[in-house]
Amino acid sequence: MEVLSQVTETGLKNDGGWPSGKLRLILLISFGGLLGLMVIAGLDAFHLARQMHTQEEEIRQTLLAHTQPLLVLSSSIYVYNDRIEEYLMSQDPKSDGPRAEDFSRLQAEINSTLRKYPANCQPQERALLESLKQLYTDQQGMLDPVLSWSREERRRQAWRILNEEVLPQRSRIQATSERIELWNSQQKGATDREIFASFASLQARQTRLLTVVLTAGLVLSLASIIYLLRLGEETERRYQELALSRAQLEALSAQLVDAQETERRSISRELHDEVGQSLGALLVEVGRLAAAVPSDNTSIRDHVDKIKSVAETTVETVRNIALLLRPSMLDDLGLIAALEWQGREVSRRSEMEVEVQSSDISEKIPEDYKICIYRFVQEALNNAARHSAAKNAKVAVEQTVSKISVSVSDDGRGFDPQRVRGLGVLGMEERVRRLGGTFTLESKPGSGTRLKAEFPLPHA
Amino acid sequence: MNSIRVLLADDHKLIRAGLRLVVDQQPDLSVVGEADDGRQAVELAKSLKPNVVVMDIGMPNLNGIEAARQIREIRPDAAIVMLSMHADEGYVLRALGAGARAYLVKDSATTDLVQAIHAVAEGKSFFSPAVSKVLLEDYVRKLRRSGAEDSYDLLSPREREILQLVAEGKSNKEIASLLNLSVYTVETHRAKIMQKLNLKGVPELILYAVRKGIIS
Repeated sequence: MEVLSQVTETGLKNDGGWPSGKLRLILLISFGGLLGLMVIAGLDAFHLARQMHTQEEEIRQTLLAHTQPLLVLSSSIYVYNDRIEEYLMSQDPKSDGPRAEDFSRLQAEINSTLRKYPANCQPQERALLESLKQLYTDQQGMLDPVLSWSREERRRQAWRILNEEVLPQRSRIQATSERIELWNSQQKGATDREIFASFASLQARQTRLLTVVLTAGLVLSLASIIYLLRLGEETERRYQELALSRAQLEALSAQLVDAQETERRSISRELHDEVGQSLGALLVEVGRLAAAVPSDNTSIRDHVDKIKSVAETTVETVRNIALLLRPSMLDDLGLIAALEWQGREVSRRSEMEVEVQSSDISEKIPEDYKICIYRFVQEALNNAARHSAAKNAKVAVEQTVSKISVSVSDDGRGFDPQRVRGLGVLGMEERVRRLGGTFTLESKPGSGTRLKAEFPLPHA
Repeated sequence: MNSIRVLLADDHKLIRAGLRLVVDQQPDLSVVGEADDGRQAVELAKSLKPNVVVMDIGMPNLNGIEAARQIREIRPDAAIVMLSMHADEGYVLRALGAGARAYLVKDSATTDLVQAIHAVAEGKSFFSPAVSKVLLEDYVRKLRRSGAEDSYDLLSPREREILQLVAEGKSNKEIASLLNLSVYTVETHRAKIMQKLNLKGVPELILYAVRKGIIS
C-alpha cells in the first residue's frame, strides 16, 4: 500500500503542466497591473473633466472681461447722445431737462470704463475701442458749444444741430454698436471652437488610455481563458487516469484475493490428499504394528507408542494447517455448519464465547459468496478474540430473496474506526466490495464492535 | 455364526487398505466391497447389501453425509459408521442427522473400528473417546461462561432412564415394554425431556447423551 501511494505521488510531481509558483506570480502581477491601469484611467478621466470645466470657465471669463466693457461703453455713449438730444429739445422753461451735472456724471462713468479697460487687446477689438473713443470725443466737441448757449440760442439752433450732428452721430453709434455685437458673437464662436478643440484633445488622450487598458484586459482575459481551458482538460485527463488506475488496482486486488484463495485451496488439497493420506496410512500401520508387538516386549512397545504419538501430533498439525488454508467443512457441511465450527474453534482457543445465529440460509448461494462470508467471519472473530477482550461475540447470518447479510458483533472494548484500521479490515472490505457488497464497521471505544457485510444475490 | 458384511468407503486408497486389514483380521467380520466416493458407496450398498457401511465424511462427488442419508433410505437396516478428521459438534450432529450410529475420529479409527462395527451391528451407538471428550469440553465451557445450570439436574430418574434408552436407539415401543409402561407415557416423557433440555430431534438428543457420557 505504502509503495503504491509513493508511486502515485512521484508520478504527479514529475509531470509538468500544473500551475507553478512562477506562473501564479505572473498571473498576479498581470491582473494587478491591469487593475492599476484601470484605476489610473479612471482618475485621469476625473481629472480631465475638471480640467476641461476650469478651462472653459477661464475662456468665457476672459471673453466677458473684453466684451462687457465694450458693450457698456457703447450703451453709455448712446445714452450720452440721447441726453444731448433731450437737452436740445427741452423748451419748457420750468423743467430744465438734463443739466450740466448730469453730463459730467455720464462723462465720469465713460472715463472710468475707459480707464478700466483691459490692456491686452486684439487688433479688431482695438479698432472698435478706438472708434468708440472717437465717437465719444466727437460728442464732447458737439456738446461743449451747446452748453454755452443761451436758451434762445438753443431754441434757434436746436433743429439744425439735431439734424446735422446729433442724429447722424446716433446712427454712427448704432453702427458701431452693431459691429461690437458682431465681434462679440464672433468671439463667442471662437471661444466655443477653442473649448471644443481642447475637449477633443483631452478626449483623444482618454481614448488612447482606455484603448490600452481594454487591450491589456482583453489579452489577459484571453490568456486566462486559454489557460483555464487547458487546466480543465488536464484535470479531466488526470481524473480519468486516476479512475483507470483505481479500477486497475481494484482488479489487481481482486485477482490477488482470487489467487490467494486458489492457492490456499490447492495447498490445502495437497496437504489433505497427499500428506494426510500418507500419514493416515502410517497411523493405520503403526496401529497394526502396536497390536502385533507381544505385550511383554516393553522396549519395542515403548518405541512403537512413541512413533504413534509423533505421527498423531503430525496428523493434527497438518490438519490444522489445511483447515486454516481451506475449511473443508465448507465443502463437507456447507456454510452455516462451517461458521458454527469456526465459532466453536474460536470459543475453544480464546476467552470469548461465540454464538452463531442463522435462519433459512440456502446452501445454493455461489461458492464465491460462501468463501467471502466465511473469511469475513473468520477475520472478524480472530480480530475480536485477539484485540477486543470481549466475553461474547455473535455471528448472525440472514438471507432474503435478493440479498444475504452477515454480521459479527462483540461486547469488547471497541476502538475508534477513524484512527485504527488494520490491513485485515481493509482486506475484508476489499473481499466484500469485490462481490458488489457493502461493508460497514461500527465501533466506539468502550462499546463493542459490529462488522457487517451485505451482498446482493446474483439471482433469486 | 453369521459374519457381519462390511462395506468400506473412503476416497483414499491407503486408508482403505489399512481399514481393510483391521477388519479382515476379525473372524466374524468380512469386507464385501470398497467404494471410492459417495456415489459408488450408495450403489454398492444397494447391490452388496452390507450390514455395516464404514464411510469417510469428506468424499468427492457425494459426501459422506449425503451418501449416508441415501443409503439409510434404500437400506434402513444397514448401520453406518462415520469416519472423520474432525471431532466437532457440527459434524457429529449432521452425521447423526443423516442416520449414522457411530462416529470415529480417523486418528483412532484402527483402534476403535472393530468395536464400533460390533456396536452398530447390534443397534447400539459408538463414539470415539476423543469425540465425547471434545463435546463435553465444549459443553462445560459454555455452561461455565454463561453461568447457566446443567439442565441434566432437571430430569427425573425415570426421564434419565428413558433418555439413555432413546439415545441407545430403542424405539418407543421397545422402551415401553422394557419399563412396563404404556407407549403413550413413554411419548410424554420423551417430550418433557426434549423440552427440559431444549433439544430438537433425536440427533441432538444422542449428541447430548454422548456429551454427558450417558452413552459412548
